[in-house]
Amino acid sequence: MDTTQLLKGVLDLAVLAVLRDEDGYGYDILRRLRDAGLAEVGDASVYGTLRRLFAAGLLTTYVVPSESGPHRKYYSLNDAGREQFARSGKLWRTFAATMDTLLDDRGRAA
Amino acid sequence: MTVTEQEIADYVVRVRDALTDLPPAIRDELTEDLPEHLAVVAAESGGTLVERLGEPEAYAVELRIAAGVGADRRSATGDPIAFVDRVHARLNTLDRQLGRRLGYPTVRAFLHLLAPGWWILRGYLAAMLLAVFTTGLNGSIGLLPRFEGHLSVGLMTLAALVVASVMLGRWEARSRTWPGRLLVLGNLVLVGFGLAALVYLEDRRVEGDYYAPISVDSQYDHIRDVFVYDSEGRLVEYARLFDQNGDPIRLGYPDCPDLQNLSGNANPLLRGYPYCPEAAPFRPQPTVGPSPPVLPAPPGTVQPESAASPTTPETPPTTPTPALTPTG
Repeated sequence: MDTTQLLKGVLDLAVLAVLRDEDGYGYDILRRLRDAGLAEVGDASVYGTLRRLFAAGLLTTYVVPSESGPHRKYYSLNDAGREQFARSGKLWRTFAATMDTLLDDRGRAA
Repeated sequence: MTVTEQEIADYVVRVRDALTDLPPAIRDELTEDLPEHLAVVAAESGGTLVERLGEPEAYAVELRIAAGVGADRRSATGDPIAFVDRVHARLNTLDRQLGRRLGYPTVRAFLHLLAPGWWILRGYLAAMLLAVFTTGLNGSIGLLPRFEGHLSVGLMTLAALVVASVMLGRWEARSRTWPGRLLVLGNLVLVGFGLAALVYLEDRRVEGDYYAPISVDSQYDHIRDVFVYDSEGRLVEYARLFDQNGDPIRLGYPDCPDLQNLSGNANPLLRGYPYCPEAAPFRPQPTVGPSPPVLPAPPGTVQPESAASPTTPETPPTTPTPALTPTG
């Protein structure tokens, strides 16, 4: 199992997380994820995820004219997105804690 | 290779090509950020976009999976349709890349401009093919169609077929209902015929016609050989006939039974008349046997008397060395 496999399950949550405090456009969000340590996240995966979260009604978009180059499409969390983020976050913490316990138990047993 | 705007455009096109099964709105939405994203990626890192992001088709697959718009049913591995699609996408890319070298959007666009020229050529080839079919090859292919030697009929046919071919071409371009395979087959036949005719003409040019064909009235058709006698009644060998323009006159054909080798210097066509001295209608006096050609010898060559007379001279009269080695 590599990070790519793990990412598939939690990329939604990761994207919601980096948008929690600050809106961002596609490449911006990708960079934040990479800076946070998710180096293996794929470009297309992030864009696809943004599109899916938007289609699910968790994100809103607005266009900002850019001084250099084309307009940029910014994504921001709406209320539904915040709710989803809270639920998914809680679920992840429970799941991660379970996994930690499992690994610690095994680790001690080994 | 440096990352260029063209590379970005190509990448976007290939990604979009891999998403053609999606509704246009979704496809546009998925790829609207792509050009800008690629520009940033290109600016920040070395290497090509493909090195950095992988093949556009793989990018498209990742994009559609992450977006939850369903996997492309066509891209199932081993599916022949998917394979055809991939080959098609590759050809499209090649089409664009080569076309830009030529200064056109695509090679197809360039070839499209040449289509009327092909229509005219097709009409011409059809007329030539018809002429060869009806008249046969013995008249040899010229540059204009002749039907049984009639150039006027040929030219009228040529004009009619060219017009018909252009009309067919225009109709072809407008409608897709024509049984295309038949037309393609016909085009291939004509192209093959044209190439064969070119090879034929080229061969003839290289070998050259030793005797340019002189049209001879049909009253000479029965002539098979020509025998020339001098004032003494002796048979002249190696005689050659020319008209007032200096063109060789060709009459008859060497069909003597003892002639085997028609190539090289023994070719009677190169030797002159008579082709078959043995068939002379008037026999010379018994004292005079078949003599070597009595021709003025260029200075420095062996005199005719010094050589024995060969029964079948191997050399054409243009090089009057009767025999270099006496064969007895």
